[in-house]
Amino acid sequence: MNSFASRFATTGHIQELKRAQANAEDDEFSDAAWGSEAGFGSLAKGVPSFSVPTVPDPSAFLRLHTDDHADPKCRIKIQHGTTTLAFRFQGGVIVAVDSRATAGSYIASGTVKKVIEINPYLLGTMAGGAADCQYWETYLGIHCRLHELRNRERISVSAASKYLSNLVYSYKGMGLSMGTMICGWDKTGPRIFYVDSDGTRLAGDLFSVGSGSTFAYGVLDQGYRWDLTDEEAQELGRRSIYAAGHRDAFSGNTCNLYHVKEDGWTFIGNYDISKLHYDGPNNVDGAGYGYEVRVGSRSQ
Amino acid sequence: METSFALTGKGYVLVAADTTSARSIVKMKIDEDKIKDLGSHLLMAYSGEPGDTVQFAEYVERNIRLFQIRNNYALRPSAAASWIRRSLAQSLRSRKPYSVNLLLGGYDVAAEEPHLYWIDYLGTSTEVPFGAHGYGSYFALSLLDRYHDPDASLEEGIATLKRCIDEVAKRLVVSPGKYKVKVVDKDGSREIEI
Amino acid sequence: MSIMQYNGGSVIAMVGKDCVAIASDLRLGNQALGISANFQKIFPVSDRIYLGLPGLATDVTTLVNMYTIKEEREIEPETFAHLVSSTLYERRFGPYFIEPVMAGLSKTPSGSFKPFIAATDLIGCLNFAKDFVVAGTASEKLFGVAEGLWEPDMEPEDLFETISQTMLNAVDRDAYSGWGVVVHVM
Repeated sequence: MNSFASRFATTGHIQELKRAQANAEDDEFSDAAWGSEAGFGSLAKGVPSFSVPTVPDPSAFLRLHTDDHADPKCRIKIQHGTTTLAFRFQGGVIVAVDSRATAGSYIASGTVKKVIEINPYLLGTMAGGAADCQYWETYLGIHCRLHELRNRERISVSAASKYLSNLVYSYKGMGLSMGTMICGWDKTGPRIFYVDSDGTRLAGDLFSVGSGSTFAYGVLDQGYRWDLTDEEAQELGRRSIYAAGHRDAFSGNTCNLYHVKEDGWTFIGNYDISKLHYDGPNNVDGAGYGYEVRVGSRSQ
Repeated sequence: METSFALTGKGYVLVAADTTSARSIVKMKIDEDKIKDLGSHLLMAYSGEPGDTVQFAEYVERNIRLFQIRNNYALRPSAAASWIRRSLAQSLRSRKPYSVNLLLGGYDVAAEEPHLYWIDYLGTSTEVPFGAHGYGSYFALSLLDRYHDPDASLEEGIATLKRCIDEVAKRLVVSPGKYKVKVVDKDGSREIEI
Repeated sequence: MSIMQYNGGSVIAMVGKDCVAIASDLRLGNQALGISANFQKIFPVSDRIYLGLPGLATDVTTLVNMYTIKEEREIEPETFAHLVSSTLYERRFGPYFIEPVMAGLSKTPSGSFKPFIAATDLIGCLNFAKDFVVAGTASEKLFGVAEGLWEPDMEPEDLFETISQTMLNAVDRDAYSGWGVVVHVM
């Protein structure tokens, strides 16, 4: 049992790795004894470990089978098309994302959850590799909880994002693909951090990530003010995702909207982008966001 | 990066193009006019492969002028768009195709209507209420979906155009510095300062 | 990225009982970027023939202008299909990037009309199907849905519903098609 307690006693990436290797050698208790591993089986041994293909250069091997720019017929397709956005304002943080997953031109799913609810005060958005984002942001959630248990206080958004940033940086060059925003409310107020798999970590007021981000920025930048009301801010987030969902072939289907306030995040709603186009968020016939719908009644 | 926008309004078309002429990483010129007057009521913003752009624009300009001299009347915007499109489509399957993207804005004096055509180097042509070429289009089109009004006055149209220019200046990594803006309406075409 | 997917777009034609239908989407794109939501891909050739042209948009316009019929008499759908095939094969080594779909009503010797559909590939290989023909970026999806929904001898109302649902559901699974749909029933 001592070995189990000591596993969580100190932090540090390298130390944990060393300990995981040591644990792998003298594993007296089955990890299954501690309940479901839920896909994090390797976690009980410290830091996750991954099987690596037995070839001279594993990351080149991976790239060969995942890079669909170089080879459109590659065997593993990584989700590229996405629009996600988050912005800070007087009333907290708005997080809005689309829900489309594409494999080439095929729309593989229109109901993807691209916001990961890390804990009641933290949200992570998902762009790039879906599995990479899902796995590492859930992993981040586990460590945020451990931080809470160890330190008797919630982790700051800054610390959480730094944890993720350091983690993905340690895998740099091995083919991880993520562009994420870690959003939340801590002692310092509403915060947003952009973290990507290059190792970039940026604090800011307004970010958009993904293939449709330029379209979202076009609407977002023009409508953004710090003193937006809650309703105005939610509308701006929704309208910006609609803009991207409309113009970008690889974004669309629905918009998921979240609002983070002092007492944690709330899910505002799921909006069908076609319905937004024709009928708008309040489902009023002809009150849609669509250009033709908006100006249709007037002459061209 | 080269960027051009155009939008229609009540009785006019606004056309804007950046004024930089770049070679590799160097700006060779910062006040280049990339919008050609093709007659009294027709404007064409061109961008694309250096060399091809001016060559093709002048080729179009002279042929449209020739038509006017021969027939004593000017091509209407839709007819000019068709002719230009066909020239590009034919050029595409020639030994050395022109790589030129165009925004053709004109005022149809006979029908008293403004028209705008989005034409690319392949010869794809479509009539649009607003259009853009270059990386700027990725920012401007969603913005115009939101703010463009086909019944806007010239002042309102210019304000919307300014939004596009500001947005591109804000977000595009290598955004152009200056733009030339021209308008065409029932009184013909003219340049405007913004 | 294939040149056939550069602008996006899809067309389908279906046979019913003494009727035919043809439908297309309205999107014109520049790869992922949507440019226009009103780009027609189906054109009337005569009173009894519609021609659908999905593929590279510049060639759509070029071919449509080419097919503006100058003869002062009606052409039969079968004849027209062969005309399309021949014009495409003429460009065997530098093709137009178009996969035409045709739908029409052909005159029988008794004077009544028989539904006709056909499609060709980009160099003019004719495919006369008895149920439905598809082409464009959503063609695989169209095949899948049409295979499930189509049945023989549909009345015009049912044919309209079937082709509309086929188009709508296929287009919803294709990133490069959409932005509105038009349906023609003859």
